[in-house]
Amino acid sequence: MEVLLGITGKDFTLIAASKAAMRGATILKVSDDKTRQLNKHTLMAFSGEAGDTVQFAEYIQANAQLYSMRNETDLSPSALANFVRGELASSLRSRKPYNVNLLLGGVDPITHKPSLYWLDYLASLAPVPYAAHGYAQYYCLSLLDKHHQPDISLERGMELLRLCADELKRRLPIDFKGLIVKVVTKDGIEVKPFDEDAVVRGT
Amino acid sequence: MDTLVARYSRPAYHQNEVFSEQEQQDLNDTVPSLKFAMPPVAHPSAWLRAATDDRSNPSCPIKIAHGTTTLAFRFQGGIIVATDSRATAGNWIASQTVKKVIEINSDLLGTMAGGAADCQYWLAWLGMQCRLHELRHKRRISVAAASKILANLVYQYKGMGLSMGTMCAGVTKEEGAALYYIDSDGTRLAGDLFCVGSGQTFAYGVLDSEYRWDLTTEEALELGSRSILAATHRDAYSGGFINLYHVKESGWEKHGFTDTNPVFWKTKLDKGEFSNVTSNFTE
Amino acid sequence: MASGYDRALSVFSPDGHVFQVEYAGEAVKRGTCAVGVKGTDVVVLGCEKRSAMKLQDTRITPSKIGLLDTHVCLAFAGLNADARILVDKARLEAQSHRLNLEDPVTIEYITKYVAGVQQRYTQSGGVRPFGISTLVVGFDKGSEQPRLYQTEPSGIYSAWKANAIGRSSKTVREFLERNYKEDMDREATVRLAIKSLLEVVQTGAKNIEIAIMAPGKSVEMLPVEDIESYVKNIEQEKQEEAAKKKTGRTPGTGAAAILTRGTQGESSEQ
Repeated sequence: MEVLLGITGKDFTLIAASKAAMRGATILKVSDDKTRQLNKHTLMAFSGEAGDTVQFAEYIQANAQLYSMRNETDLSPSALANFVRGELASSLRSRKPYNVNLLLGGVDPITHKPSLYWLDYLASLAPVPYAAHGYAQYYCLSLLDKHHQPDISLERGMELLRLCADELKRRLPIDFKGLIVKVVTKDGIEVKPFDEDAVVRGT
Repeated sequence: MDTLVARYSRPAYHQNEVFSEQEQQDLNDTVPSLKFAMPPVAHPSAWLRAATDDRSNPSCPIKIAHGTTTLAFRFQGGIIVATDSRATAGNWIASQTVKKVIEINSDLLGTMAGGAADCQYWLAWLGMQCRLHELRHKRRISVAAASKILANLVYQYKGMGLSMGTMCAGVTKEEGAALYYIDSDGTRLAGDLFCVGSGQTFAYGVLDSEYRWDLTTEEALELGSRSILAATHRDAYSGGFINLYHVKESGWEKHGFTDTNPVFWKTKLDKGEFSNVTSNFTE
Repeated sequence: MASGYDRALSVFSPDGHVFQVEYAGEAVKRGTCAVGVKGTDVVVLGCEKRSAMKLQDTRITPSKIGLLDTHVCLAFAGLNADARILVDKARLEAQSHRLNLEDPVTIEYITKYVAGVQQRYTQSGGVRPFGISTLVVGFDKGSEQPRLYQTEPSGIYSAWKANAIGRSSKTVREFLERNYKEDMDREATVRLAIKSLLEVVQTGAKNIEIAIMAPGKSVEMLPVEDIESYVKNIEQEKQEEAAKKKTGRTPGTGAAAILTRGTQGESSEQ
């Protein structure tokens, strides 16, 4: 029951991921960070098979950083998304495929346009204005369909995340220990404080 | 003639291939490709699963030593590591005196849960890698790096039947007290507190309720030991002795390998805990 | 001259030389000069830039100073094209180290890696040694200690307080030996690097490149204007010194010195 959420706005992309790390019936960690920074303005969140997720994400991260070192320029979010898709696609046809679902968000270093990409372990790639993975899709996409606008401000983006987080807390049967929220703007990536202690009452 | 020319004018990148292989080898030095003898069947990993999974097939031919309780937690004074000492193979208690804390070197500890052989072998191997790192880099390996070497290794063998749940604990000048959880799925997590093994839930119960960062060393040692006791009492696959360690920046310190039996009765009689167990033989 | 012993790389001459490696050293001596100087909390790389042709676009012509990782900088002297290959291998290793050990490379580690690659190309068949020497500088993670290493085509590596490689490196090294001081601040370190380069670079600021590294920060390439002001300052000082030498102790400057000391007592200027 891992939760991944992504929202784009006027000049930013928000990425949120649940903080629980589960193994069987045990929550091993309540402050897990399921995101990796690929370069100054691209962030990737991941969920899926234990082990595969971090291995794949860090492999992508190392390659993105190697590209930046070699060429003294960063790959754009769209270039990275297509690179990741390619890696997933060739992995899918290998002896042991990576079982990883991803959200890749960023802001283009030149045009400053925010973007968000939805990828799954079957190597589908879709550019989207907002996205979710796992059970969160069933609850949050309808909410975002209703409330999302392409030119929303960061404050409004955070409100929408709050809306999604509250609904998940209300309806998901397993506690996912809240969300870690990061925002990508033209100035880089930043962790946003996200109030976790708010109790959501079921109805 | 063409073949002659071709033989003597190999393209430059071809030459490079030779080196990249060599380099590949060098890269693999940290994660060496060890060769193991494989069982002579078509799918060794599937075969192993079928032969060893005693949950789905109680009469499976190979019973791997499994049940365990191990725990480790960070606190103000360093890290406490505690384990039980029972090894079981199916319903059979194979040993009551297993050392489940593995002394990787003078300041790194590993714990053992899951397949006893897998843990023993790979943690000993990790010790070797740590020593090599020390010699190559002229300084002690960080706990982060050591745990990652192990995690990367087990990830290479993912799905091939390795069974390990281990913790790496150490205190270094750069990182302070560091604790990592690594399992054979390839998961690697940094954290303050972990319990691993069939008795983990029982240990968590006691440990979570009384854990604080500012525990004194005595309190912390007592809490670690009491949590293992709790697990050995309720989990049939845990028992034997309580193996207790304290890790500090100056290295680890052993705090005994204590029989659970007297500890249990002392706890019960002195503190009145475990009231479900009666000490009266005449009812 | 060497009666065939310089033909194949991996063959010793009877008196114990591997000529191809020594020839690689000659290629280094023909390369433009590079210096590295350590200060107390800073380390500086300086490079002589080859004077550009009229139509060359200097803005986007690759530099002799490159980053291996965000905290490690490398300058080289010798064959440009060889350096590109070596730098690329080092960058790959730096990222691979991050991926496998979580921590970034130490400066010594990556130096040893670079030297290791160079060594391998002196002992394998069908290859030619790298015609470059390198200076590797930077700060280890969480450390305030500046590091400066040199590697050579043979695969030797060594640590230095200040050193020079490439054309006229002997002159520059001797200059550094005479003028190096312990406990130099950023200004003094940059100044010494530039001053030492001026020993062999005639054309001044526009043919000098300076990279500065400080702990926990990424590399800073010094703007041309700043280098120019350093150069002007150094040249002025040199002229003054020359003038002093000519006339012995000039009464004018001596009087001025006394004058400033006098004023200093009253107004706390300067």
